[in-house]
Amino acid sequence: MADFSYIPQVLVSGLGIGCVYGLIGIGFCVIYNASGIVNFAQGAFVMLGGMLTQGLLQRYGLPLLPAALVAIAIVALLGVVLERVVVRPLWDRKATMFTMILATLAAQIVIERVTLLVGGDQPKTLPMFTDLPPIQVSGVAVSYQLLWIVGSSLLAVAALAAFFRLTRTGKAMRACAINREAAALQGIPVSRMLAAAFAISAALGAMAGILITPTQYTAFNVGVPFAISGFIAAIVGGFGRPFGAFLGGLMLGLVQSLAILGFGAGLKTVAALSVLLLFLFIRPSGLLGAAK
Amino acid sequence: MSAASAMLSPAPGTIPVLEARGLSARYGHVEALHPTDLFVAEGELVAVLGPNGAGKSTLLRAILGLVTNAGSVSLRGTPLPRLDPVAVASRGVVLVPEGRGIFGPMSVAENLELGAYRLRDAGEFRHRREKVLELFPRLKERLTQVAGSMSGGEQQMLAIGRALMAGPQVLLLDEPSLGLAPRVTEEILATLGGLNGEGLSIILVEQKAPLALQLANRAYLLSVGRIVATLDPREITSYDELAQHYFA
Repeated sequence: MADFSYIPQVLVSGLGIGCVYGLIGIGFCVIYNASGIVNFAQGAFVMLGGMLTQGLLQRYGLPLLPAALVAIAIVALLGVVLERVVVRPLWDRKATMFTMILATLAAQIVIERVTLLVGGDQPKTLPMFTDLPPIQVSGVAVSYQLLWIVGSSLLAVAALAAFFRLTRTGKAMRACAINREAAALQGIPVSRMLAAAFAISAALGAMAGILITPTQYTAFNVGVPFAISGFIAAIVGGFGRPFGAFLGGLMLGLVQSLAILGFGAGLKTVAALSVLLLFLFIRPSGLLGAAK
Repeated sequence: MSAASAMLSPAPGTIPVLEARGLSARYGHVEALHPTDLFVAEGELVAVLGPNGAGKSTLLRAILGLVTNAGSVSLRGTPLPRLDPVAVASRGVVLVPEGRGIFGPMSVAENLELGAYRLRDAGEFRHRREKVLELFPRLKERLTQVAGSMSGGEQQMLAIGRALMAGPQVLLLDEPSLGLAPRVTEEILATLGGLNGEGLSIILVEQKAPLALQLANRAYLLSVGRIVATLDPREITSYDELAQHYFA
């Protein structure tokens, strides 16, 4: 029998993992909006964020924050490379969406295997960003890492909202999402917008991977499970709606944590997939309604 | 017959704003537009008429490079990039597509702003925006409104206004009257006539031939993917005569 007194504690930790799913989910949406592609290499970005930060920390002795920022920049760049090398050539040849989605899945596998060859198969972790004991808030322990996760996620979401609302490039990216052909007819460089979408998604994924690693571990193969959770978050939020995806992520994180409490950790994936199925049956357009 | 020959090819010694030579377009294995020659002289308003499915939209899409095409299109004598609509639009060949293609969930102001995406000069931006809002005062009242919530006529005004924000060398319009009330259609076509009067070169694809012919300097008649006649609107005295061209 589950102990209900743990519920507030569980919800708090669910919030943390939920933010991470949310960031990954936003990544799915940003690329989907720019191109209609579901990028299954999203998990590779998450994994590389943690792995690269760990490598920079260990091998080059960089302090944590610079290491994290450099890792995010590298992964963002890799997102652009992925768009140029894998997606764009298919795009220019007017490949079907199915082909492009498969190509991103292939890219995921390649990145995963290269990481295995370079970094080895041993799990690695990162130190807590702030190494202090958790704060006690009326019986609930709130770790500093959780504050980092929630704080940086909210900051990232706010920055992204401002980017899409206020900047020329952000507005042009929204225009491409609404009507790519009409955007091209105004001289908006739609393919550059696609590259920008990959950079943003990759950076968000990397950030998610870095934030969560201190509470868990990272290894060459952690990407796919995160990508699946992020994908579910995006569907629950209404595919193509970045802020819906963030809400979806939060919801998924909370449900998963409660399921772990109620039924044990073995059923965490079952809980996640149940949420997905429930939404597909009852509200297929998601919390906010699908963008297209 | 110098008047007639001037209609078929650009006047000697002049370079047309836009000229297509041997332009054809295909969807898969179907050639929807057979090799076609066409030009727009400086300051001309050229109407493209023809029944449904004649290839009028395809002609405009081929000029922009939106469909697989062959042949060449040049802007003031310089060949346009092939199959690269972004590059063609950036050179000032701006199409208001069929169905308008406005960014529905965005505000009117944002739509206009995106029309001038290529423009870096803030002063010129304000100047163009003022001009557009002067042409379509109704847009001015709705700047913060979500574009998709406006009436069809207002959306068409926005689509044209957005195209003007790009500072077109030549403006291409695909059936701007589609689905609009007659009064609104007349208002919009009158505005186009006014723009043309100020020197803007225009290609106007229109089903409503009589209205288009009132404005046009010249008209091409398209049928089954081919230009079958070049008309001088002044010589069309009755609709019967026009109908003969349609069914010839």
